[in-house]
Amino acid sequence: MPLDVAPVVRAYETQRTLNPPGIPALAPMPEGETDDTRRICEQFGEDIVAAGLHYGNQVVYVDPGRLKALATVLRDDPELSYETLIDVSSVDRSHLPLDGGARFQSVYQFRSYSRNQHLTVIADCETEAGGGDSAQIDSLTGVYQGAEWPEREVYDLMGIHFTGHPDLRRILMPKNWPNHPLQKQAPLGGEEVPFTFTWDDPEFDTLGSQILPAESTVPDLPPGMSRQNMVINMGPHHPSTHGVLRLVVEMDGERIVSIDPDLGFLHSGFEKTGENKRYKDFVYYTDRMDYLSSMSNNLGYCLTIEHMLGLEIPERAQVIRVIMAELQRIASHLFWLATHVLDVSGTGMSLLMYATRERERILDLFEMVCGARLTVSFIRIGGVWQDLPDAFVAELKDFLRVMPQKISEYEAMVTEAPLWQERLIGIGHISAEDALGMGLTGPMLRGSGVDWDLRRDRPYSGYEAYEFEVPTSDSGDCYARFKIRLEEMRQSVRILEQAVDNLPSGLYRSNNRKVALPPRAELDVSMEALIHHFKLMTEGFHVAPGFFYHGIENSKGELGFFVYSDGSAKPYRLHVHGPSFNNLYAIDHISRGEMLSDVVTNIGSIDIVLGEVDR
Amino acid sequence: MDWLQLLVFPAIRALILIFVLLTGFAYLTWFERKLLARFQVRYGPNRAGKFGLLQPAADAVKAFFKEEIIPNHVDKPVYLLAPALALVPALIIWAVIPIAKGTPAIADVNIGFLWILAVAGIESYGIILAGWSSNNNYSLLGALRSSAQMVSYELPLGLFLVSILILAGSFSLVDLVEGFRPWWEWIWLWLAFPFFFICILAETNRSPFDLPETENELVAGFQTEYGGMKFALFFIAEYVNMISTSAIMATLFFGGWKGPFAEQYIWLGPIYLLIKVVVLLFLFIWVRASIGRPRYDQLMKFCWQFMLPLSLAYVSVSAVLAVFLK
Repeated sequence: MPLDVAPVVRAYETQRTLNPPGIPALAPMPEGETDDTRRICEQFGEDIVAAGLHYGNQVVYVDPGRLKALATVLRDDPELSYETLIDVSSVDRSHLPLDGGARFQSVYQFRSYSRNQHLTVIADCETEAGGGDSAQIDSLTGVYQGAEWPEREVYDLMGIHFTGHPDLRRILMPKNWPNHPLQKQAPLGGEEVPFTFTWDDPEFDTLGSQILPAESTVPDLPPGMSRQNMVINMGPHHPSTHGVLRLVVEMDGERIVSIDPDLGFLHSGFEKTGENKRYKDFVYYTDRMDYLSSMSNNLGYCLTIEHMLGLEIPERAQVIRVIMAELQRIASHLFWLATHVLDVSGTGMSLLMYATRERERILDLFEMVCGARLTVSFIRIGGVWQDLPDAFVAELKDFLRVMPQKISEYEAMVTEAPLWQERLIGIGHISAEDALGMGLTGPMLRGSGVDWDLRRDRPYSGYEAYEFEVPTSDSGDCYARFKIRLEEMRQSVRILEQAVDNLPSGLYRSNNRKVALPPRAELDVSMEALIHHFKLMTEGFHVAPGFFYHGIENSKGELGFFVYSDGSAKPYRLHVHGPSFNNLYAIDHISRGEMLSDVVTNIGSIDIVLGEVDR
Repeated sequence: MDWLQLLVFPAIRALILIFVLLTGFAYLTWFERKLLARFQVRYGPNRAGKFGLLQPAADAVKAFFKEEIIPNHVDKPVYLLAPALALVPALIIWAVIPIAKGTPAIADVNIGFLWILAVAGIESYGIILAGWSSNNNYSLLGALRSSAQMVSYELPLGLFLVSILILAGSFSLVDLVEGFRPWWEWIWLWLAFPFFFICILAETNRSPFDLPETENELVAGFQTEYGGMKFALFFIAEYVNMISTSAIMATLFFGGWKGPFAEQYIWLGPIYLLIKVVVLLFLFIWVRASIGRPRYDQLMKFCWQFMLPLSLAYVSVSAVLAVFLK
């Protein structure tokens, strides 16, 4: 039964926009060519609609009929060897001047780790007869296994049917949700939330004098599961699923037969919200996605927009950003360590308290710079919110002095402990091919022996100036990932030491007044500043039409932002590629045949944050 | 006046014993929370009373006044019986433990060892029945784990007990404590203590062998469907078990109530026993704060592949020693 979701009409939403007549505009076609686009064009000829560079990214527009063939060639051609499909997203272009073009486009981000190349592929989706709200396109799951979840997400939120997809169900929204929320005609908020009661509800008549008998319904099993085995629900209220993750676990005795994760309990529609916020206002939402590394989220989003604006960031701001991102990485890894050890070893494990004690110091540092500890929003478009306070550097140095010893202390407690090794070695094994095929990123990828770190290989925000090592391991099990994360903390300390020693003086925020706010003091004396302030706070700044995907190395993997601009002051489409989402896809694969206890180990080892998985 | 000797005095002693044990339980929870907190750079309970000393009372009041909820889907009689079955063995195991010179807690029976083994065997019923009657997958898994674990670890535990029995030459615990032991027997006993302690950890479902209730996998294992006082009974059972097994260990390995001047001043006996019990309880808590939990199959493997052969070897060597040196 579809839920009753009635849109609410608000006057201010239907108001004529004040944009100039050239807006909204389609993204321009790519220009120029590179080796890869030339090779693709040679092989596919007429079927490539356009190819070239767009905002520095290689972009290929392909005929939808040949999409699957293109993906196969991208993966198998040794001179292309795009091993991984990083991300699948889509654009509903119905509010753009289409001139007969397709309404839906699906957007794929391919990555070649061996050749250090990134490629965006865009394909028009065939709209069903009558130009309805649904469209279809070939699924890439046969070529890249990891396309399964991202395609389900696109289907769920955008309504594009992927033909040939093995399991095309909704993934984030409830299964009887009436619309696909990212389509432009779907209302934004204001609708009556279908699962709340009003006081007229007859259920309230007997309130207090009743115990509702639980209705015994036949539970619907995820496809492929059998009632012959024991099926248990882990979550959404389970101590070790790290939030509101629900795993439907099929077990034979205590051995895992299969796992079906049920996501979306924390789905907040950040992407839809982002389409209705000015560029600068979305920074605050990124905090709430991966709430354990909000600084990195801020950074990833700001870098994407700044690249589209072509904005130069002052040296000092860049170093401050690196300091914050690395501190955040340590904090996130500390919390991962604490909860992972707790999950695997039980309540008594004192490491939780020790690790949170150190994390507390990092949060104190954050509090020093911006007053917030968790949802910081410190990194803004154009730089950072405020300059570092005077006491910050000394405090940071003190922290850096202590931290390496503390990491060794944690290592002494667990790394060599036989019980700990027994629980982790050989558990959750994933091979390099599988890791690439599933599109895993971050420690999950490095744990399987793929030597890749965006900070080193595609540097951003001045990371090329720092000296650090990227730990990898070939064993591909939970223990490998555990050691890699510990080593990453050490390397982060190294980067921090270099950054704090070479902290340049200068501006902490771009002085391009069209984008970044003028300092408060200037408002009192300068009319210009007042005008800029007013413009930025009301209308915001415009971004030239186009689209751009940018990924950064978050503590959990590659955090990517895909932004499609129509030239106005709000993103036309904003897609977030969360590392936790893609990494969590591996849980079924790596847990099969292992024990129930190992599921908990694997969840901890993947290091998920549900705020980011569900977004 | 036979009935007085047979019924009234033992009944009074039993009541005093239960009172002492339950008070001990209450302050054991306080002791554990304080200690764990210290291990984990926290403060622990410090709001109710001085040093949080009234915390156990507050907990008791809370447990008593919680709403009694019996889910619809449980097997009611068994569901209600299980907590009692868990608690009773933990209390009655004390009957044979000597607390001072010539004085057992309740009765000096000549089957003291067998009593301990028998009562320890009953303990697992409470947990198994709780898990089974709860009609819940998590509880069932917890109960299955627990039954397998307890049955397995009872074997090496029993074998170690038998070795001590062979060396002591008497079934009575009172005799065991008061009898003379040569120096090599003490050393030989203490060699077995760490392994005996591991068996006891498994037997009492204490961390790191708390697999039946592993909250990180099984939510709360066999007690998932229990609340209020029924849950508290399981809780009491676990802690009283800790005290009882500590007392047993103190009796078997460390001379029970014995200590300087305990022979002359009988009232010193219980105090020495208490000190030894507290030290052993500290060991329980220390282990909990610092050692991680093995996986279920690893735990079983450890028992069958290591503990059992070891205890068998220990029995045979003990028998040889008893024959040749005693």
